Amino acid sequence: MVRPDANTCPPALEPTDDPALRARLAASHVAIIGCGGLGSNAALMLVRSGVGRLTLVDFDVVEVGNLNRQMFFRDQIGCPKAEALAETLRRVAPDVELAIVHECMTPDNLLATVQDADVVIEAVDRAEAKAMIANVLCTEAPDLPLVSASGLAGVAPANEVVTERVGEHFYLVGDCRSDVRDGLPLLASRVMVAAAHQAHAAIRILLGYEEP
Amino acid sequence: MQIDVALFAYLSKFQPDGASGRGARAFDVPDGATVGDVIEMLELPDEPRVVFVNSKHATDDSVLSPGDRLAIFPPVAGG
Repeated sequence: MVRPDANTCPPALEPTDDPALRARLAASHVAIIGCGGLGSNAALMLVRSGVGRLTLVDFDVVEVGNLNRQMFFRDQIGCPKAEALAETLRRVAPDVELAIVHECMTPDNLLATVQDADVVIEAVDRAEAKAMIANVLCTEAPDLPLVSASGLAGVAPANEVVTERVGEHFYLVGDCRSDVRDGLPLLASRVMVAAAHQAHAAIRILLGYEEP
Repeated sequence: MQIDVALFAYLSKFQPDGASGRGARAFDVPDGATVGDVIEMLELPDEPRVVFVNSKHATDDSVLSPGDRLAIFPPVAGG
């Protein structure tokens, strides 16, 4: 195997890297439902980590108010979020395979949209939509790992955001209590902590690790 | 019969023993009780929720058995 030059390549490609791990991530497919604060940041982390294929699902467009925590830029305002995110991801990894779904997920179209993925990340904002996604996928695709998020608003300690395995293939990220409906702000720092938890949980699942 | 109940997030204030915290705790329910029966007994609010019995997804009409671990999780908004 030809080793990359440690003097010129980024840290992720240093010679000490694990080729088997990279190959597994490159062959993996993650579906992200919601490309806002959680989904856009998790997507970038997954691509930087070498995940080879993503399905990006979002029905919304970029607004100026999204720029405080979401992985978008001023020149993308007005663009569909999934498309704008795809553009950014390709700037990092031109070869990443991306499917863009500019639709709102419902019980009727959800499974067909994500069933080819190895892991699904739920990254929507409304509690009702989070429950719908969990209930539909846990019922119709019980073996498909789902990483959901709940409780990432406010200024409580970042260390209270954790990853828990609640069901056999259902992982829950967050502090389970900090709700935007209580008027708590969504700060980039804490939203990105949760997004990083989701991305890392997905990576661990893809690599075959099991949480207790 | 006795089951274990774990209530996540704001549902923890409905714990059967009235104590704080979301950890699982024992709860006596009638034989043949369903998830929906337990939700009614605990007087949980009618909000979106996700239910697991012994780590497997369940619905309100799922029938419980002695020793089952019932976990009820209400999603919290924000993303």
